[in-house]
Amino acid sequence: MPHMDTEFGTRRRRPHVIAAVVALAGAIAAAVVVSAGATAARSAGSLTIADVAPFTGADAALGPTYLVACDAASNAINKAGGVDGSQLSCKSVDTKGDPADAVPAVRQLFATTSNLALVIGLTSDEAAAVVPVINAQKTVAFGMTGQSEFDHIHFPYFYRLVPADLAESYAMVAIAHFKKHYKRVALAFGNDIGSQTFVGPAIASIKKAHMTLAANETLDLHATTFRTEAAKVIASHPDVILTEALGPAEGAFLSEVKQQNGGKMIPVIGTSAAISPDWYKSVAAAVGASTLSQNFLADNLVIDTSGPAYKAFKSAIFAEKGKVGSTGSFATYLTAPGAVHLYDGINLAALAMVAAKSTKPSDYRAYLEKVATGKVVVHTFAAGLAALRKNQTIAYVGPGGPTRFNSYNESNGIFQIDAYTSSGQVKVLGNLPNAWLAAVR
Amino acid sequence: MSVFVSSIAFGLVAASVLAIASVGFTLQFAVTNVLNLAFAAVMTASAFVAYWFNERGVSIWIATLAAAATGVVLSVFLNRAVYGPFRRRRTTPIGIVIVALGMTLIIEFGTQAIAGPTNVSYRMSQGRTLALGSFRLTLAELAIILLSVVLMLAVHVLIRFTRLGKAMRATASNENLARNSGIRTERIVTITWVISGALCGIAGAVFGMDAGTFGATSTDLFLVLILAAVFLGGPGEPYGAMLGALVIGLGTEISAAVFVSDYKDVIAFVVLLAMLAVRPTGLLGART
Repeated sequence: MPHMDTEFGTRRRRPHVIAAVVALAGAIAAAVVVSAGATAARSAGSLTIADVAPFTGADAALGPTYLVACDAASNAINKAGGVDGSQLSCKSVDTKGDPADAVPAVRQLFATTSNLALVIGLTSDEAAAVVPVINAQKTVAFGMTGQSEFDHIHFPYFYRLVPADLAESYAMVAIAHFKKHYKRVALAFGNDIGSQTFVGPAIASIKKAHMTLAANETLDLHATTFRTEAAKVIASHPDVILTEALGPAEGAFLSEVKQQNGGKMIPVIGTSAAISPDWYKSVAAAVGASTLSQNFLADNLVIDTSGPAYKAFKSAIFAEKGKVGSTGSFATYLTAPGAVHLYDGINLAALAMVAAKSTKPSDYRAYLEKVATGKVVVHTFAAGLAALRKNQTIAYVGPGGPTRFNSYNESNGIFQIDAYTSSGQVKVLGNLPNAWLAAVR
Repeated sequence: MSVFVSSIAFGLVAASVLAIASVGFTLQFAVTNVLNLAFAAVMTASAFVAYWFNERGVSIWIATLAAAATGVVLSVFLNRAVYGPFRRRRTTPIGIVIVALGMTLIIEFGTQAIAGPTNVSYRMSQGRTLALGSFRLTLAELAIILLSVVLMLAVHVLIRFTRLGKAMRATASNENLARNSGIRTERIVTITWVISGALCGIAGAVFGMDAGTFGATSTDLFLVLILAAVFLGGPGEPYGAMLGALVIGLGTEISAAVFVSDYKDVIAFVVLLAMLAVRPTGLLGART
């Protein structure tokens, strides 16, 4: 029998029950913080686009970046009347950058969102775990991962408008070899799945280009300092460092390299993940904006920086300015892959829904390719909607360029070489010729 | 060879940061027997407070005082409003650990909600690099080592040569006996949380200086290193925590130089487990 407090007539609670309640309160507080920025799915007459990405944890900057693209695209679509009268809204689903958290979060998404029309986001942190779940639910998803397994496994509902890591590795080496004529290359990639997939292809590519692999350091993304790793890289006397390490690791490592190299930065070539406002803000603060502008290049898929598609995209993105927390130069979203390609993906999906006369992914999926390869070129949802109403076939060409899906639902464009100005704007130095890529493949 | 010698210098810097944190952690544990897993989250919050002042033109070395004050406020709050009531109800140690984990989530996610997901850096100059062959340190790194040495000396003087220190040792040894001997143990506990909170806040700011770039979740693994240093040295033993920090700090950097850097933290824990297998109470823990 439990002890009764006879003075007050109440039953004594067990302390460890209260302890568990406090722990639960902590978890609830975390969930409240994460969902604070999310727009709740509306009732009937609306469609939900879920941004499935890290909103907390080491890669917490990624989810909000994709949300900017989602809000920009959906607001522009809603202004044009929505999809057959249904308004789009965006919902954040925090994966915490961990597959163990991502799978339950995605399952909960499907259990609680009856009007889910599209999933976007899906970084290399969680894609391998959640794409099969999403595909089994027959929901179209546009992902940001370049992981190599998706180059060979076909998920009918999973699409990528970003390059495979394999292709990016070749692009980085091609830039080092043909553009800058470097001879000695050091690799410094984070120990997460997404970054490590670059290493093997890069090593093979360096060998093909008859360059020297001077050093290959793996950066533990949970470590706080990288002095010894930086010392090992410097001791190998590289001409250039190829790198990707998300979170604070990149800034910490590069600042150590600069400091231990007598204040001089070794040239760096990054992946398209480096073209983001948060990456720039973090690394520029660590090594200096001027240093970064003089010593940094990145590969990126060709993105329009002029023309009607770009104008519409810029207008949509800048309409979100001020609604997002401090991210550094907002203009960097205009060339950030996470913004450009997901904006295009949402427009493609919305036009496919109109063409299919259905918002069910299993119905409109077949129209994704059709609205990208028709006769009439359109650059916005509104223009595409008008053409479809005239029974014309359309080819949506957004700021990310034309879309041509291969058998694995991947659409790659041409690579370009990006750099940062000292004020954080992205400048395009030129396109990467296919011959360069072929030579190092 | 040069990278190996450089790694010794780096290890001393890492050990210095770890020592400030580990001694603060172990002081709390010694006197209250609370495994305060929210320690690292408080470090992060303090680091961001220092960042707030630093962004407004205050030197980071001065802003460290603000970090120390933040550490004190949060630590005293944790003791008074959270751990204290549970201790009085005789909550089991595992129950306290669960409470501490909950507080970690609240403080960490609260910090991220306020500060945002972007990583930040202090505005500070590293100063000249001083080199003795391959043994190279910047002035800022030397200052971190010096600060750590000064704080360790201060803790040593406090524990060994002051009445307060004596009272802390008595309370840590046997709280009931200390109380019966006339020591106001509740006051000693509060003062201990103040001191360890200050060390926690300073550790947070120094952590930010050392890392170069940090975010709201940067101290997640650092907590594990703190625990490793504390238990390697002997839980509740400040001198043990200092020694443990030196072993862990040097071990991680030297192993990164000698082996592959992927496993530098793993090797530190291998050392810890090997030591605990031989001497379970830690290097300076009392044999039972």
